[in-house]
This record gives sequence, C-alpha cells and structure tokens, in this order.
Amino acid sequence: MNQQSTSLIQLSHISKTFPLAAGSFQALKDIDLEISKGQLVAITGKSGSGKSTLLNIMSGIDKPTAGNVLINGIRVDKLTESELAAWRGKNIGVVFQFFQLLPTLTILENVMLPMDFCNSYPRKERRDRALALLSLVDIKDQASKLPSALSGGQQQRAAIARALANDPPVLIADEPTGNLDSHTGAAIMELFAGLVKAGKTVIIVTHEKDFAGYFGSTVSLLDGAIVH
Amino acid sequence: MKTRYRKVVRDLTHDYSKNLLLVLAITIGIWGIGSILGGYGVIKREMRDNYMGTVPASATIELEDSISVSLIDSVKQLPGIKEAERHATVLARMKVGDRWNPLLLFVIDDFATKRTNKINHISGAVTPAEGTMLAERTAYMVMNAKEGDELIIKAPHGEPKKIKLTGTVQDAGLAPAWQEQTGYGYITLSTLHWLGEPQSFDQLRILVTGNQHSAQYITNKATVIANWLKTNGHPIHEIQVPPPGKHPHQSQMNAVMTIFIIFAFMILVLGAILVAESMATLMVKQVRQIGIMKTIGAGSFQIIRLYGLMMLIICVLALLIGIPLSQLTATAFYKQIAGLLNLEINNKDIPFSVPLIQIGSGIIIPLLAAAIPVIRGSRIPVRVALDNYGVSKNRPVAGSWLLKLSRIAGSSEIFMLSIRNIFRQRARLMLTVGLLAAGGAMFMTALNVSEAWNKDLQKIYEQRLFDMEVRLQSAVHADTVVNAIKEIPGVRIAEGWQYASTSFVKENNYEVTRTYPDKGHGSFTLQALPVPTRLLSTTIEEGQWLTATGANDVVLNQSARALSPAVKIGDPVALLVNGHTTLWRVIGFSKDYGMGAGAYVSLNAFTDQLHTTGKINMIKIAYANRSKAYAIQKNKEVESLLERENIAVSASIPVWLLKNAIAGHMKVLVNTLLSMAVMMGIVGILGLMSAMSMSILERTREIGVMRAIGATPNKIRRLIAGEGFLVGLISIFIAFLLSLLLSFYMGRMIGGMAFRTPLSLTLSFPAIIIWVLIIITGAYFATFFPARRANKITTREALAYE
Ligand SMILES: Nc1ncnc2c1ncn2[C@@H]1O[C@H](COP(=O)(O)OP(=O)(O)O)[C@@H](O)[C@H]1O
Ligand SMILES: [Mg+2]
Repeated sequence: MNQQSTSLIQLSHISKTFPLAAGSFQALKDIDLEISKGQLVAITGKSGSGKSTLLNIMSGIDKPTAGNVLINGIRVDKLTESELAAWRGKNIGVVFQFFQLLPTLTILENVMLPMDFCNSYPRKERRDRALALLSLVDIKDQASKLPSALSGGQQQRAAIARALANDPPVLIADEPTGNLDSHTGAAIMELFAGLVKAGKTVIIVTHEKDFAGYFGSTVSLLDGAIVH
Repeated sequence: MKTRYRKVVRDLTHDYSKNLLLVLAITIGIWGIGSILGGYGVIKREMRDNYMGTVPASATIELEDSISVSLIDSVKQLPGIKEAERHATVLARMKVGDRWNPLLLFVIDDFATKRTNKINHISGAVTPAEGTMLAERTAYMVMNAKEGDELIIKAPHGEPKKIKLTGTVQDAGLAPAWQEQTGYGYITLSTLHWLGEPQSFDQLRILVTGNQHSAQYITNKATVIANWLKTNGHPIHEIQVPPPGKHPHQSQMNAVMTIFIIFAFMILVLGAILVAESMATLMVKQVRQIGIMKTIGAGSFQIIRLYGLMMLIICVLALLIGIPLSQLTATAFYKQIAGLLNLEINNKDIPFSVPLIQIGSGIIIPLLAAAIPVIRGSRIPVRVALDNYGVSKNRPVAGSWLLKLSRIAGSSEIFMLSIRNIFRQRARLMLTVGLLAAGGAMFMTALNVSEAWNKDLQKIYEQRLFDMEVRLQSAVHADTVVNAIKEIPGVRIAEGWQYASTSFVKENNYEVTRTYPDKGHGSFTLQALPVPTRLLSTTIEEGQWLTATGANDVVLNQSARALSPAVKIGDPVALLVNGHTTLWRVIGFSKDYGMGAGAYVSLNAFTDQLHTTGKINMIKIAYANRSKAYAIQKNKEVESLLERENIAVSASIPVWLLKNAIAGHMKVLVNTLLSMAVMMGIVGILGLMSAMSMSILERTREIGVMRAIGATPNKIRRLIAGEGFLVGLISIFIAFLLSLLLSFYMGRMIGGMAFRTPLSLTLSFPAIIIWVLIIITGAYFATFFPARRANKITTREALAYE
C-alpha cells in the first residue's frame, strides 16, 4: 500500500507474445517494473529487445498478453479501446521518434488538438495554453507554420509541447533523439530534464550512451527480459 | 472552429484536385437524378392536369347513323350519365406544297360550351365561322402555315376547298401533329357540309357518374347506353373506352422514366462506391495520423465523426453544384418531353420532393458506401495504426490459377507481378471491377439499344416492300386504276388491297376498343391483300403466312394478338367489319414494325365474304428507287393520276413519313439514354483512377524496395500500367456479358412501347470499341499520375514511409 503512493507506474508479470505466421514470438517475458513519480527513466537495449513493446504497454497503445499494468491507480490493461484513448490523452504524453505531427495542421493547431479531443481546457484558453507550451519549448515564433517548414529539432520540440498539452503526469518517448543530430538531441534531453524538475515523470527509450548523465534510473532489456 | 475540424477542412483543401474529383463523381449522380426526377415530376403532374383538364370522355359510342339533338337530350336523362355530347372525326387531306397529307378534322357541336374532350383556346377565333377552321398549335408545322393563312383541304367526298385558319387551340389529348405527321383541324358541322362531306355527328361521347377510374365500370355503363340506343333504333358500330384518366402516352412515359430513374440512381450508387473507395484510400493514407490522434486522446467515435464530416462536406459541395444544375437540365428535359407530348406546362415548379430526394440520396448513399472503410479505418487499434504495414500480411496471394495461366502464355515477370498485385486485395479488386463493369455495361447497353432501335426502325422499310400507301375514300374497281398506276414510269409494283377498321366480335356484339379519340392510338386494322403479295414481307413468329387465295385464313400481328390473348393457331375468329361479321381461321402470328393491331387476310376471301368482289380501297405501290426524294416525286405523279381519274383519296402515307413519325416518338428517349452512357463513362474512369492510386499508395514502400534493388522507374510504370490494364480488361469482359442481359431487358421495354415487340438484340460494335478505348485511355491516365508520383518519391523516402 505504501508502495502505491510512491510508485506511479507499476508493471507486474508482463508478458507479450506476438502471433506470427510460423508459431508465435514472445517479445516480453514476465517483466516486473516500478517507476515512481518525478523520475527520468531510461529504457535501453539492443534493437528488437522489446523496448518499444514495453513502452506501448505502458501507454496503453498495446495490451499485454499477461500481467497487470497499474498507472496512477488505474488498471490500464483493463480499459477498453475508447476508455484508453481518453485516459491516454489526459495521463500520458507520447513523443515519437519521427515527431508525427499532423502535416496539414499548423504547429499551434497540433498542440491544441489533444485539448480538443479530450475537451480538457475551456475552448477560449486552449490557444493561450498552446502558445505558452510552445514558448516553454522555445518555438513560439514557429506557431503558425506547418510542420514541414520546421527543422527536425523544432518538430520534436513541437511534439513535446503537444505531449504536454493536457498536462499529463507521465511523458513517454520512444527514441526521441534517434532522428536528430547529437547537438539537437542534447537540447531535447535538456528539455525533458527540465520537465522532470517541474514534476513530470518521463520515460525515454534510447540507445545513446551520451545522455546517461540525465537519467535517474536505467532499465536494460535483453531479449524481452530486464537485465540487472 | 474546433481544431479537429480545421484538420478536416485542411485535408480537403490540401489534396483538393483529388477531392474535387470526388465531388464531381457525386455531383454527376445528383445531377442525373435531379434532372430525370425533376423533369418527370413536372411532366407527370402536367400530363395529368392537362389531360384531366380536357375532361376526357369516359367512352365514345360510334353509331351507324347520325345523332340528333333530341337523342343527346334523352341520353343525358339516362341514369349514371353526367354529360353527353355528339362529335364526328373525319380523316381528310390537306395540300402542303404540292403534296396531299393526312388531316384529321374534329367536328365539334358547340365550341363555346364544350364539356368533354375540351380544347384550350390559344388565339384567334373561339368558334370557327362556316368555311373556316381552327388548328391545333402543333399542326402548323405539318401544315406549313400559320394562323390567318389559307389551306387547301379536301374532305373524302368533297372537292378541294380553300379554308382559312382563323384560330389556334391546344388539344392535350393528342400527340403532337409533327409526331404523327398529320394535321389537326377543328370545324363546325356546317363547315363539314360546306366541304362536301354529307356525314353528320356519329360519335356519342359520354361522361359517366360514379367510378370514373374503372375501365370495367365505364364499359358496363357504356354497354347499357349502347343497348338502350339499339332498342331505340340506333345501331351501334363500336364502343371506345380509352384507359380512364390516362393520357395516351402515359404508360409509355412511366416505363421510360422508370428506366431513366434506375439509370440515374445507378450512377449515384457507382459514384458513391467510387467515393467509398477513395475514402478507403484516404484511410490508408491517414492510418498513421489516425494512430497519432488516438495516441493523443481521440476515441474511435471521434475519428469516425471526423472522416464522416469530411464525407459530408464532399456531399454538400456536390449537392450545391448538382441541385441547381439539375434544376436547369430538368427544365430543359421537361420542355423536350412536353413538346413530345404536346403538353402546356402551366405550372413550372419542379416538385419540392426532388431536391429533398437529391439531398437524402446524395448524402445517405455516399455516407453508407463510405461507412465501411471509415469505420474500419477509425477502429484500427493504435499500435496497428502506428506500425501500419499496409497490405495485410497473412493473406495468401490469390489467383494462382491465373498465374499458371499467364506462365503458360509465357508472359514477362513484370506482367506476372501485375497479376499478383491486383489479386492481393480481392475485395477492392471486386469493387473496382464491379464499378467499371457496371459503367461499361450501361454504356454498351445504351449504345446497343439505340443501335437496335435504328435497326428496327429500318425494319419498317424492310417489311414494307412498298413505298407508298394510298387509302381511298370508297372502294373502286381494281383493274383500271391499278393498271394505270403501273403505267407510271418508275413504278415497279402496284397492288390493290382492302383495309377496314375492325374488332374481334364479342358476345355482346359491340366491340369495345381502347381507341383514343385520335383514332390512331389503340386502333385495330384489317388488311386484305392479294395472295401472294409482293409488297409485304412480315416476320412470321408462329404458324404460317397466307398462301391460299380463296381460304378464310387470317394472320394476326403481335398487337392484334394482345387484344385477344387466348387465340391460338387453328382457332376460328370473328372480325367485325363495317357492321358485318366476317369469319376466319388463324393460321399464323406475325411480328410487325411500325403499325398498330393488324389482321391480314386474303383479298379474294375477304371480298367474297363482303360481296365486294373485284373492289379495292387501298393501293400499295413500290418504286424503282426507295430514296425519300424519289418517293416524293413519284407520290406526286400517283396522286395527280388519281385526281385525274376522279378517285377520292382519304390518305396517302409514304413509308418514309411513317418511319419519321415513329422515330419522332422515341428520339428524345434514345438521346437521354446516350447522355447517361457518357456519364457512366466518366464515373468509370474516375473509379479506375482512384482504385489505382489507392493500390499504389499502399505499396509505396514496396515500390521503394523495388527501386532499391534496381527496378527502373520505367519498369515500375509498366508494372503499374499493367495492373490498370488488367483490371480494365477483366471489367470489359464482365461489362460485355452484363450488357447483353441489360440490352435484352431494355430492348424489351423500349421495343414493347414502340413496336409492341422486343427490339432485336443488337450488339453495337462501335460501343465495344469505344468502351475498350475509354478503358485503355482511362487506365493509362489512371496509372500515369500515380505511377509518376510513386516514381518521384525518392527511394529513401519510400523506404521510410511506414
Ligand atoms: N506487431 C508485431 N508483430 C510481430 N512481431 C513484433 C511486432 N512488434 C514487435 N515485434 C517483435 O518484437 C520484438 C521487439 O520489438 P520492439 O519492441 O519494437 O523492439 P525495440 O523497440 O527494442 O527495437 C522484435 O523482435 C519485433 O520483431
Ligand atoms: Mg523500437
């Protein structure tokens, strides 16, 4: 009980098996993991070791074959698809490797979109909030541009602003710097570090050793299992 | 505006050229439906109002003698009779240029207080003074005259006289004069006598009380009156009960319109399928975006609404263009049809229900069609959406038999890959092929039917080996006149025939016909001809043609058979001719083009039964040359000969005139069918285009891989074009088979209306060629742009495209 108050995320006995044409493939094997509030956690491991699968299960993007996912007191694995969407919109900010901004919306609109879907802030305030978030990630001047007009680093900043739109307690990022040069990557990591200081819990998949200094703790995966 | 709606609008305007095509596809359907339904709505209403406005008589009883005013008054006193009037119809002739053309004279008792079969006064005199005539407004064209002009006309027993056209009327119960190639004139009885015609009123028109809409009820009433007349010493010739409340062309109109409406809805449905296909493309294209939106908190239902809204906007745009456009064409369409039916459009309002139907179907049909891809796309699980692999991985490659076949045929690797590709998405393949096949089938059907129509029109010539038919006012001795005509240079054959209006004798002894007051629609004619004749080549459907000169044999054509459907080969039939019952045995059934109900008998047998041996009242003549110009020239010579011989002609009908008259009836309809074919063609090409761009889109990465392993852009283009052509080819094959079926049914309908027999099943060779060309060029353009786009994407981008 005491654990629950400090652990924001609690995974127990998580397994994930993908059905394949020839048999099946177990991508995660009986994972137990707790992440407490306010941490910056790294998930590392070789390509194919199950990092993305683990992240997907945490964000409710994918469901585990077995095991429980408890986040902020909610059994995420028990939610239906539509409950999940609303829950994720409010509780998890997701940042992708390839930024994934909607190409026909401006940067500002991209940041406003999660608020619209989740109906989270009064309509009149959304614009100001989005602008505030954009200035937080330092690209307020790009607000009215389309994503294609921005550099990779700027797009990733916009994506982080979007992930923050509904003020979720948890941010999840799958190789957010994987597609950026090391200088820009470092700036993005700084941004994440700042967010953790402000009270967010951030979980990042990365292979880059250079950023080791930012992380409070590191989870290493090998063939779907945690190595210590 | 909510941010998500901005995305909808942005997406629509972003790829606007493609979305405009979608708008176009739906617009065409909405436009078609609105034009047809709108035009038909007005025509249906005006046809009924015009016709009912004339207060058509429930029945016309033709008496053997003339009707006095006191007889009319007594009839009016009979129970169940609301109105009774006397009338006469005389087939006279009028001189147009130097030709004599048929002129129907309607002799009216009292113009001012006419209470049945009313005519609309349009201009000039209301009641024509003695020696003057009113003309039906459509008749001026065939009279080659205008109000105020003088016309030379000749009643059957009179001398040619100059008559002044002092006024104009509209008679909504008549087909336009130009269509029937007959003049319509309205005169008083004194004018008829002035013209030298001794007859008086012989038609009693009655309007019954009670159920005006039941032909049976009216027939019973009319029979009671007829019996009453008979017992009071007035023999009855015939009772005419036209279908109550129905304009002479009503059922034709309904049947044709049904076809058009079906076609129009088909176009909309195909347009909708096309839109659904494009929506599916869009969903594939945006599957990743859907994944992202779901990741940031959008539920499936929100996504469905988003894409539903997109569809709705496309539909609304299509409606905004389609509805006003269709109002314009509906107006043009009903004007054409109104001209065809001699209707006066009093109320030009297109029924309010038409735009409502357009809105309803223009939104519901596309939304329904798009529902499956939209819902399926919106409900895709987030992870699947995010790592979208496009073509389903676990579906085995289908069509292995086709692969084997193509291997046997020794085709290239690229061609085989094309085959494999089109069978990868079986559902979409079926949709695309179905769309193209339906389009092609309707296209070919439209052309097949119009070619069949022309071919069967030509049969009017082929069956009639004569070029001119002269009907005489009264029977004359055959030898002198026919021999004289044979002497005219250029006359190849001349035969003397007899004709008479006839009817099957029924138990009650009066024939009840369905004849309309114009005496043409619904009539039944007996023709007595020399056996063997050299001037008729009718098609025998069953039994045999007349071979025995003296035998009392009869051959009935399809329309006559329809009047007495129980009659079989070998049955005796009794035909009433001028009040005499004649007896015959049925030996054959024929199929005639371009005439109403007809019975053919031997002239000798006929004159024996009627004791008119050696007499004829119709001459059929064949000229050395069948051209219209030659016929006109020779007809003149024949007519002046008859004039010199003092033989009264009641009508002379050149065969080309007959063909024009029948062609005129259906021309607009065939043309409408053709324009529908063009619309189908457009929708078909749009369909192929959207299907191809979808299938290429799904394989962007695959194309990247192919490029990476060395496929040249040219090879890729050939691969894609190959796919387009293959899909096109399959569809052509199916379209062809479908068109056979459709042409059969359409031909049966149109032929049934025009000739009372199905049109001959005709394959329009140009139709197939044109459709193949449309598909080939369509496939080329449909694949050219997507292929170019696919080739423009760099290999790296294509590979990164997940
Ligand atoms: N949808 C899927 N279907 C089948 N196998 C999958 C699927 N997603 C991931 N895998 C497999 O699971 C393993 C782990 O994948 P992933 O979590 O993406 O690894 P990482 O992110 O560490 O590179 C890989 O071997 C991958 O091939
Ligand atoms: Mg990964």
